Amino acid sequence: MDLSSIISIAQILLAAIFVLVSINLYLVFRLKEIDPFANWDANKVNANLFVLFWIALLVLGFGSSIYYGDRMMFMQEAASAHGQDIDKMMWATTIVSVFVVVVTGTLLFYFAWRYRHREGTKALFYPHNNKLEVIWTLVPAIVMAILVIQGYVVWDETMMSEMPEDAIEIEMQGEQFRWVARYPGADLKFGKASVAYIDGINQYGLDLRQRNSQDDLVIDATAGDIVLPKGVPVKVWIKSKDVLHSMTLAHFRVKMDAVPGMRTSFTFTPLYTTAEWRDRTDNEKFNFEMSCQQICGGSHYNMRRIVRIVEMAEYKNWLASQQPFYSVWKSTQPQSSTANEAEVEDESETEEKVADAEEEEVEISMNNN
Amino acid sequence: MSDAIKAQTSDFHDDLAAHAEGHDHHHHHGNFWTNYVFSLDHKVIAKQFLITGIVMAILGIGMSLLFRLQLAFPDTQFAFLETLLGSKWAPGGQISPEFYLALVTMHGTFMVFFVLTAGLSGTFSNFLIPLQLGARDMASGFMNMLSYWFFFISSVIMIVSLFVESGPAAGGWTIYPPLSALPEAISGSGTGMTLWLVAMAMFIASSLLGGINYITTVLNLRTEGMTLDRMPLTIWAFFLTAIIGVLSFPVLFSAALLLIFDRSFGTSFYLSDIYIGGELLHYQGGSPILFQHLFWFLGHPEVYIVLLPALGISSEVISVHARKPIFGYKAMILSMVAIAILSFIVWAHHMFVTGMNPFLGTIFMFFTLVIAVPSAIKAFNYITTLWKGNIRFTTPMLFAIGLVSLFIIGGITGIFLGNAALDIPLHDTYFVTAHFHLVMGSASAFGFFAGVYQWFPKMFGRMMNSRLGYVHFWLTFVALFCVFFPMHFMGLGGVSRHYYAYTAFDFMSQFGDISKFITVSALVGGIGQVIFLWNFFYSIFRGKKASANPWEANTLEWTTPVNPGHGNWPGAIPKVYRWPYDYSKPGVKKDYLPQHIPDEEVEYEEGFPRPATMPEPQQPSIPAENEVIEDTNTES
Repeated sequence: MDLSSIISIAQILLAAIFVLVSINLYLVFRLKEIDPFANWDANKVNANLFVLFWIALLVLGFGSSIYYGDRMMFMQEAASAHGQDIDKMMWATTIVSVFVVVVTGTLLFYFAWRYRHREGTKALFYPHNNKLEVIWTLVPAIVMAILVIQGYVVWDETMMSEMPEDAIEIEMQGEQFRWVARYPGADLKFGKASVAYIDGINQYGLDLRQRNSQDDLVIDATAGDIVLPKGVPVKVWIKSKDVLHSMTLAHFRVKMDAVPGMRTSFTFTPLYTTAEWRDRTDNEKFNFEMSCQQICGGSHYNMRRIVRIVEMAEYKNWLASQQPFYSVWKSTQPQSSTANEAEVEDESETEEKVADAEEEEVEISMNNN
Repeated sequence: MSDAIKAQTSDFHDDLAAHAEGHDHHHHHGNFWTNYVFSLDHKVIAKQFLITGIVMAILGIGMSLLFRLQLAFPDTQFAFLETLLGSKWAPGGQISPEFYLALVTMHGTFMVFFVLTAGLSGTFSNFLIPLQLGARDMASGFMNMLSYWFFFISSVIMIVSLFVESGPAAGGWTIYPPLSALPEAISGSGTGMTLWLVAMAMFIASSLLGGINYITTVLNLRTEGMTLDRMPLTIWAFFLTAIIGVLSFPVLFSAALLLIFDRSFGTSFYLSDIYIGGELLHYQGGSPILFQHLFWFLGHPEVYIVLLPALGISSEVISVHARKPIFGYKAMILSMVAIAILSFIVWAHHMFVTGMNPFLGTIFMFFTLVIAVPSAIKAFNYITTLWKGNIRFTTPMLFAIGLVSLFIIGGITGIFLGNAALDIPLHDTYFVTAHFHLVMGSASAFGFFAGVYQWFPKMFGRMMNSRLGYVHFWLTFVALFCVFFPMHFMGLGGVSRHYYAYTAFDFMSQFGDISKFITVSALVGGIGQVIFLWNFFYSIFRGKKASANPWEANTLEWTTPVNPGHGNWPGAIPKVYRWPYDYSKPGVKKDYLPQHIPDEEVEYEEGFPRPATMPEPQQPSIPAENEVIEDTNTES
């Protein structure tokens, strides 16, 4: 039996015993007309309980922080470059806020205990002191200013910097209830994709008439894990097919909503391969997991994808071994369909011109990024 | 109906006339319906808000206990759940994933709007504004009655939505579209969501009717001598809350209206490019982010609509029971004003990683962290008020001190979440849940309890049992920390909110032990609330009879009879001669000096000189308020 079950059972037992004993005592005392608390100074009891409470909270709070230290992510190393900056800030903010809570909480409960009502004493008439007010306006203001500046620097680096030259791009599309990845293929350019092109086989919505789309890889769960190289910036374009999702890679400190009708993005640089991370954590079964953290429907809790980080050479091999979606799609079309295809193209000639124009636009905007 | 109302209105004015002449002492005219149901008396309306709020709280907390069971014991089947919820929502005694989300959604909706907005503000603004300002009733008793009945209808519709076949709304209390707009995405977005929107429209009407009334009353119906800088901090808090509500609730209404258009009339304000259920939908060009901006323009001020009344109540309660003036009265007012203003320009800190332009994030990060400054001032002022006090640990005082600790511990995590860079890993994790349940949920609930224990004698003429109150407080206080404190660890471990089970992810499933601990603590906390309910309803009928001023407080509500009738004071309305916080004033015989006692009637300690030659207090500073008061008195 694990610790948690023991604690839960102990809690329930304690609560039940407390209730039963209270009821019994109440009945007995009522029968005998005894008031066991008659001599209790309620004021003193409550004042003491506050101090006891505060000491218990501090001891248990710090104790459990240590106990759960290896599960709290910022206490471990982040697996991405910007994530390590975020973690440093997290430490700084944690130290500041724990300090503030310990000091103010101690004063609060100490004063409550120390200045409990005593017969014959009178409180001090002390309605204001502007000097004190100025001090405790300025001090928090300065501390906040430091935190804001620090936060601004990290935020700026993480979210607002230009896409690095050597970055590789992938696209994640969220839908109820899975994540599907798209890689731009050998030409390093994404072809056009839209929910308007979705059909029974083309679930991603690629515009397969475009050359840029024809070499794109679609990596859904049947194609295995999402694979990314170590040490290179990865720009993830994020979009959604239906409702809001949020692409989260907790170990990399990556999170960005997937919004239907627009593309969002997040750039991060993995610093460890999955194998290296397994060695570091001594956990042979470890995987980097992608989750959804924006409520999206019944199976929201189940949108898991594994992201495997590998060395560059292995990444290139993996890329080469994948089949573009176009060839998969083609193999599903009936053999005699060449004639039909030609017909379709004839019919949609004007449409295709529009699509081509759009494609150029897409390319231009991509270059800007 | 309109005749009846007219009759009541004229009845009400007759009442006032009668009071003014000082004839009427007991108010037995009017029948059951006009006295207790469609009453225009602000005190009755306050009690109606209170009881309705308590009913909604029972439902809201009950729902949270149900989904906590699922979270702690994801593989266990509880037969009673199938009995309670039916085999559709809890097949085999296990809550279904969609109904889990529905429970979470309705828990949030009930607690935020129906309990902590209407139940807290509705009860205490209604009850205290006229009583503490020296008014016979609200500026418009009729609008006040409408405010309650809109709220009542809204509550009924919201409860009805729990029983529709496709289930209640299940897209989170923030109802982000497209999830809330598409029944294809989740079944709760069908009829349940329609009823949710209708109920909220009613709720907003109620809130606006109430808010306009509170503002008008505070500005116009203060008794003689009750200048703005002599108002109790409770009234300042209710006043600012009403202003925030009146300015922000209409924006939620427009957001809901556009959502209704998208859902029912085929417009595309929030929707674009959606393929769902094997079908391409026609929506083009809308943006879900637009909804988030509109929603949080209310949603963030809403946090302060919930919290400010609680802070006002605790300021009053702490000062009364510490027998000491609240420290920095003016700083308290200014910091509340600052919080009220800032609350309008921080909304997008809920949206750092929703695809909003990251540059906007920097601006909202700045304003958000600025809010920490007035909040810190308030916390320090509370602590200094306790310093060298003469503290009576009555039940309201316990809750008020508990509130300050929750305000500090829950508020401090706001500087993590308000910082855009730190929000990346923490957004939508249990860290957020811990933060707002402590600072907004629990602190406000403590304000509510402090208020109920403090003004129960004025509401019902009886005292609540203090020993049961102590047990209630300690069970609640300890359980609360056991429930919400460990959630910080989960959030820092990356555990997502709104998850039906953590079992699918390795890094989340290692928190199963904390989850069990939280659920059992929540159940224990629930027992604490049963004690409160028993104490509350038992004391209404059988509690110890209260005296006119049981806490020896300074404010005007304690100058009324034990059971004030409609019109509040049988005789003339009392005049006000000083600020409300003259506790333990040097030289004065008692340790309190009510606002309505003229200077010449104040009893001084023996040998203490009269006020004309009264020496300055030994402290480094003298309250500016007192100088003002003395000046006006010599003039008159």
